[in-house]
Amino acid sequence: MLELRLLQGGLLKKVLEAMRELVTDANFDCSRSGCSLQAMDSSHVALVALLLRSDGFDHFRCDRNRSMGMNLNHVAKLLRCAGNDDIITLKADDDGDTVTFMFESPKQDKIADFEMKLMDIQSEHLGIPEAEYQAIVKMPSQEFARICRDLSTIGDSVVISVTKEGVKFSTKGDIGSANIVCRQNTTVDKPEESTIIEMKDPVSLTFALRYLISFTKATPLSNTVTVSMSSDLPMVVEYKIADMGYIRYYLAPKIDEDEDQA
Amino acid sequence: MEASRIKDDASFRWTFQIAQVILNGRSRSRDREALGLHENKHQRWRSPATIPLSLPLPLPPTSSVAMGIKGLTKLLSDNAPNAIKEQRFENYSGQKIAIDASMSIYQFLVVVGRNGMETLTNEAGEVTSHLQGMFNRTIRLMEAGIMPVYVFDGQPPELKKQELAKRHVNLKREDAIRDLTVAVEVGDKEGIRKFSKKTVKVTKRHNEDCKRLLRLMGIPVIEVYAVASEDMDSLTFGAPRFVRHLMDPSSRKIPVLEFEVSKILEELKLSMDQFIDLCILSGCDYCNSIKGIGGQTALKLIHWHGCLENILQNINKERYHIPEDWPYKKVRQLFREPNVSSEIPDLRWTAPDEEGLVNFLVNENSFNNKRAIEKIKVAEIKFSQRRLESLFKEGVSTSAPSKRKETRCMLHFPRPARQSRMFRLQTFIVSGPKGGSLKPLIPVLQQRCCEAMSILKN
Repeated sequence: MLELRLLQGGLLKKVLEAMRELVTDANFDCSRSGCSLQAMDSSHVALVALLLRSDGFDHFRCDRNRSMGMNLNHVAKLLRCAGNDDIITLKADDDGDTVTFMFESPKQDKIADFEMKLMDIQSEHLGIPEAEYQAIVKMPSQEFARICRDLSTIGDSVVISVTKEGVKFSTKGDIGSANIVCRQNTTVDKPEESTIIEMKDPVSLTFALRYLISFTKATPLSNTVTVSMSSDLPMVVEYKIADMGYIRYYLAPKIDEDEDQA
Repeated sequence: MEASRIKDDASFRWTFQIAQVILNGRSRSRDREALGLHENKHQRWRSPATIPLSLPLPLPPTSSVAMGIKGLTKLLSDNAPNAIKEQRFENYSGQKIAIDASMSIYQFLVVVGRNGMETLTNEAGEVTSHLQGMFNRTIRLMEAGIMPVYVFDGQPPELKKQELAKRHVNLKREDAIRDLTVAVEVGDKEGIRKFSKKTVKVTKRHNEDCKRLLRLMGIPVIEVYAVASEDMDSLTFGAPRFVRHLMDPSSRKIPVLEFEVSKILEELKLSMDQFIDLCILSGCDYCNSIKGIGGQTALKLIHWHGCLENILQNINKERYHIPEDWPYKKVRQLFREPNVSSEIPDLRWTAPDEEGLVNFLVNENSFNNKRAIEKIKVAEIKFSQRRLESLFKEGVSTSAPSKRKETRCMLHFPRPARQSRMFRLQTFIVSGPKGGSLKPLIPVLQQRCCEAMSILKN
């Protein structure tokens, strides 16, 4: 028996919106410790990893480890039937092939049950090594989303360079080029509006902007975003989910043009 | 992946059979569109164009006799379904893929721009269908971020020459030419179309043209000896995996099929040597088969007796007639240690030589293809995207699929690799019933991988 109850149902809606553009089908892995998901996009360039710890739920019961395959677009569709302040409960039998979403209105005057068929999805877990990153930038998530959106009007890829001066986003396109520099800034009133750069070595990597734009769909989940980069690793873009866990995106860089492509 | 994923076996096999037809039919109409043939005043249909809708399977005249390993595809789909995977086209982005150039050229000559006896030509009247086809197919692969390597045939091995000679290839072509003349006299349009295709022959000039085109496009070209003759016998030669139907992804209805040798061996419970014996027994290009023994029987015999020698000793000689001086040992030797070129050319994908391309295609061969040159620039960008697996080590799957559900899902990831993918070259043999063995590349890359590892360790 699996039963997860979440008072702030709107959170689940945001989580689904944050993933469904990047991956269509994925396995939700549930265990005693919580709920997780890992999936790559079809071109194997980006990966999303979600963690929702059991203590973040208002009620969490998972008798046996389960891996439930779902089409994320279908789940998102179902969740759109729930109000933003509805209480959402997920239920599944140990040997069943469906999952039930229950939506309760805050006043308890309306209860809706949606049952969805599960899918059989074979997927591979990438072993993601714990790594020390050369540069870690923490910045307001809205600011990051804005930068990605603005640059995408000019070019397809962005060069992100972290130096002592700050973090520079630059792009080139047919109509011209653009550079945005964010400096370290810790002197703001609210801590979530600060930009913090921790750098061991300067890094400069190129990424396809369209993936970054998909990542910024997670902006409503958190006020801040953490971008970690190392020259031999995929970049990590992390949005914390308050009191519950995180959603992390990994993105393989593009090969610099002057590098050997063979 | 699993057989059950493929709805039922019958439709699966059907897909196999028709895929090739659709592939060629589609590539034709698509190529015409892509090239904007109507705008081209030199590259013309010399008779009023009516494009036939149904296109027969264009295979070389030789393939009317079974080529490669007889019935191996069917045998595998029945007995080793897990070795065959449906894949999405995009899954190959960033991967290196070897393509049998000679087979492709043949297909292009048969299909691209053909109308009855007429084909695409340049001002001098020389055929250019192969260049059209090669150019467009390569662009499509590059756009998807796939890194193609074209493999050209070298000398066929001695054993195969005998087999080829038996097939009276040239006799058939002569037949076709005679039939064509008759059809032209009678005015039988259907006949003209049918027989003119059978007269197609890939010449040295076609090969040279294509090599020149590919070099201009910055695509590596390899020439190999002992090219496997049917795609299925590439497996016997030890290609780790190969891909079918890669060229028909735009329809999206036919998934790309990927075969993996290690899985085949696991599923059939055979060793590589036994698998080679199985292929010899079921009939290959290099020697006669035994009458009455097909794939299924061969598989049973191998399971029962273990190897060819034991089978030959124990088999009922009256029921199965074994050809005298059956050269199975030589054939086995050939499969185990193919006569391959040991010099591995440096595989490099370079920027296309735009000026050279324009000169070659537009000036020499009457292309009107500025748009396609622009396309190659677009393809360049995608070439540079790395894949996640090249940066992470793939771990073992921890999410075993739960019970089978009614809903089907098409999301397939490659099986976990036990080694880092960073320096691994994946060998794929693509498209069409001929395939090249890239075996020589494997040891070298493994060695490079080891070297790289030791550098990392130090």
